[in-house]
Amino acid sequence: MTAKKTEFKKNLVAYSFIAPNFIGFAIFTLVPMVFAFILAFLDWDGSPYNPMHFVGFKNFANLASDDQFLAAFKNTIVYTVETVPLTLIMALILAVLLNQKIKGRDFFRTVCFFPYVASMVAVAAVWNMLFNPGMGPVNEILRGFGVQNPPGWSADKDWAMTTIVQFSVWKYMGYYMILYLAGLQGINPELYEAANLDGCNGWQRFWNVTIPQLSATTFFVLVMLVIQCFKVYDVVYMITQAGPGTATLVMVYDIYNKAFVYSSFGSASAEAIVLFALVLIVTLIQFRGQRKTEA
Amino acid sequence: MQVVSTKQKIIRMIVYVLLVLCAAVMLLPFLWMLSASLKLDKDVFTFPVQWIPKHPRWANYHDIWTEIPLLTFVKNTVKLTVIVTLLQLFTSSFAAYAFAKLQFKGRNTLFLGYIATIAMPWQVYMVPQFVMMSKMGLNNTHLAIILLQAFSAFGVFMMKQFYTSIPTELCEAARVDGMTEYGIYFRIMLPLSKPALSTLTIFTFVNTWNDFLGPYIYLTREELKTIQIGLRMFITQYSQEYGLIMAASVVTLIPVLIVFLSLQQYFVQGIATSGLKG
Amino acid sequence: MRNLKKTIVLALVALMAVFGVFANGTAETPATEKGKTELVWAVWDIGSTAYYQPIIDAYEAKHPDVTIRMVDLGSADFMTALQTQLASGSSEFDVVTIKDIPGYNNLVKKNMIVNLNDYIAKDKIDTKQYGGTTEQISVNGNLYALPFRSDFWVVFYNKGLFDKAGIQYPTNDMTFAQYDALARKMTSGNGANKVYGCHYHTWRSCVQLFGILDGKHTIIQPPYDYLKPYYEMVLGEQNDGICQNYATLKASSIHYSGQFQNGSIAMMNMGSWYIATQIQKVAAGEADPSKSWGIVKYPHAEGVAPGSTLGTITSLSISQGSKKKDAAWDFVKFVTSPEGAAVVAKTGTIPAIMSNAVVDEIASMPGFPTDGNSKEALHVGKAYLEMPLSDKSGQIETVLNQVHDEIMTYNISVDDGLKKMGKEVQKILDTN
Repeated sequence: MTAKKTEFKKNLVAYSFIAPNFIGFAIFTLVPMVFAFILAFLDWDGSPYNPMHFVGFKNFANLASDDQFLAAFKNTIVYTVETVPLTLIMALILAVLLNQKIKGRDFFRTVCFFPYVASMVAVAAVWNMLFNPGMGPVNEILRGFGVQNPPGWSADKDWAMTTIVQFSVWKYMGYYMILYLAGLQGINPELYEAANLDGCNGWQRFWNVTIPQLSATTFFVLVMLVIQCFKVYDVVYMITQAGPGTATLVMVYDIYNKAFVYSSFGSASAEAIVLFALVLIVTLIQFRGQRKTEA
Repeated sequence: MQVVSTKQKIIRMIVYVLLVLCAAVMLLPFLWMLSASLKLDKDVFTFPVQWIPKHPRWANYHDIWTEIPLLTFVKNTVKLTVIVTLLQLFTSSFAAYAFAKLQFKGRNTLFLGYIATIAMPWQVYMVPQFVMMSKMGLNNTHLAIILLQAFSAFGVFMMKQFYTSIPTELCEAARVDGMTEYGIYFRIMLPLSKPALSTLTIFTFVNTWNDFLGPYIYLTREELKTIQIGLRMFITQYSQEYGLIMAASVVTLIPVLIVFLSLQQYFVQGIATSGLKG
Repeated sequence: MRNLKKTIVLALVALMAVFGVFANGTAETPATEKGKTELVWAVWDIGSTAYYQPIIDAYEAKHPDVTIRMVDLGSADFMTALQTQLASGSSEFDVVTIKDIPGYNNLVKKNMIVNLNDYIAKDKIDTKQYGGTTEQISVNGNLYALPFRSDFWVVFYNKGLFDKAGIQYPTNDMTFAQYDALARKMTSGNGANKVYGCHYHTWRSCVQLFGILDGKHTIIQPPYDYLKPYYEMVLGEQNDGICQNYATLKASSIHYSGQFQNGSIAMMNMGSWYIATQIQKVAAGEADPSKSWGIVKYPHAEGVAPGSTLGTITSLSISQGSKKKDAAWDFVKFVTSPEGAAVVAKTGTIPAIMSNAVVDEIASMPGFPTDGNSKEALHVGKAYLEMPLSDKSGQIETVLNQVHDEIMTYNISVDDGLKKMGKEVQKILDTN
């Protein structure tokens, strides 16, 4: 067979692997996404009976002076910067701890996974109750320790974001712990033996074997975490409803408002594209970083 | 013979204490949920918090089945979740193998494009997607939810990362032996990816089980609805029956726990590398 | 360890089986019989709304060739879900219920509901019977919905608490100052025994809309200085522990109904829909501390006649995509007629057509307070809708809610908050 024919056949085989997933994805997800992209350049109120007008970049220009958008933009970045490192570190620590042979390991693993699994409606209600600024247990305990003015949590514009971050870390660290656990299974134990022979202690083993070996997993966790944080909506909706004022208004929340409350699908899509561009840039940077480590 | 030094014993103790503290932090809200599930609605949010209800209202666990058709919802959710999970597992791992181990034209660009779409929040293209699905006649069908959830870029991304960590030498050796790519996938990659597949199963299962917005939009006929929609039905315009919400949440947590516990055994060290020696 | 885990898994499965025993099967969905017209009606909270089925039964009895099938879109995001459903131009829905004004506004803008003027003229419907509410929902003289249910706001009070404190009940003619003074007198105790003089639910309408009752202002027009005395009154009460803290209420999803039923509130301003809930809870024995209760009219500003209050209407519209518009209109016509109003009134819900007969009907319901004042409170003077129709009502509503939230949680002072409200609403009104 000629080289070209082998090449062609190779490509075909590869595409056949991708096809089942990609075709379904393309039809049912990609097409609407592309349409939503196009909407950013139109003015449409979401009605099948009303026309769509082409408005070029007007939606984007309007964003620059849109108070809601500016608040949402800032809040989303703050939220991401605070949530990502905390969640990642907690998840890693938990995974390493729960990878040891200790009694009750399965129990602890299940417990850590609980917050992720439970229904958001119930868990958010519980969280709000526990952190109730007036009479919730957390503040009661703080007062017991002598704290005069415990934080107002979700009712205080200076603490609302922290409350959301705390809740997110609590809810998601179990999820990422699982990812790290799966990654840890892939580390060749011979590497640890070699390190032991070289006289490494536990901490050095962690730094020199575990972390580098987890690089592919860490990359995945980081990318997913960042994307998840940029896309946050449910948590905000359930805990603070973007309040007080606009203290916890995030971009997807504003996008939702623009589309479904103001019936302005064009500006909603424009904001979505800004969000998408942001995530893309951050993800590309991460990809570059990963490429360097893999080389 | 290993001598466990005092230092190691102390470290182990500290680890245990940390874990117990951690477990407490994780579990506290659930204890509250359990306690709330046995209370009358008006008593759920009283202060100071009553951890053990004075008059446990076991009737809540009966009422959740009669006030809303919870059994139907559970059946629907199970059906959707199982189908979506199986489809995702297969198509994602299938595609991920190509991205991880095969060289072909446009591989990196396509992969990047795939991941990029994860960044788009669903709320943005939800309406165009709904309009399209409606015109295809898929409104109010379980098939719509399946088609929406089963083909996700997330699954492909995750499986690809795991496949990357499986040494390529294994595949090379098999190719030299004359195995087709399909053979390599079925005989070598699949068995080795048990931890990854278990992980994907857990995630897809939980995601689909807890999904609210999708079923909310597409399933308006009562007999098609799912658990999450059912839970919100306890929050009506003029009252919020939190006692029942908590009871229903506890009950619907159980299947997920079962799945999680049964897949735990695949997180055992050393499976992935067992093929390397020799 | 393996065995322990297996046992746990088995135990969980067994638990599931036990729960399954409690579960009952669901009712069968009746199949549409041949030859009948089926109308699909978009509603919310089927399980907890008393009047849907009686209306359907009454209509189907008179029209044996029509069946009505309800679709429950849930109450939390009803209008949003409805707009999404209708976005595909589907013919799935025929009759849709209108829950609030901003949502109605969106539907009209999007041309998703039918202009009813021709139908109204043809069947000679007299819109005056709706007490002036149809004028408030007309868009350039066009009416897109007809109200079938109206609620107005009153003050609920716990007679038992007043008796115990030896204080006179509230009356149908109270100024805000008198109402505030009464609330302060009634506040007593602390901890688990605390009685709050009054209670404000977390909706902004519970506080902000005191300000529009004199008819001189509308909530979508800045400046908002006229709201200052009311915010000061409520925040003063909050500071002094006369009413519960807004932040606490919001964070703990405490529902006003539970608070009132627990007997911890002396007076509560709330909508008339709560009458039916209270009656039902008392009858079920779940609200004993509040089983002796009554209602009086909303307080009024100095110099304004009593009887003005907030109104909320629920209306019916016909979906633009419906293929059975005429049949849908016939149903809408029935529900919004005096005949339909009678069916609604029998369930303890207040229909949009208020007449003395309807008032009598409601006041004579078992469980309704028997004192004269409560019955008198059902006679409403002028009812102002919570939000007038406006193109920008969605955006304005968002700002009003955000600033209300900030003021009530002390994140911004009343003066600064009202200034901010005015500035942002003006900006919305000025942009096109």
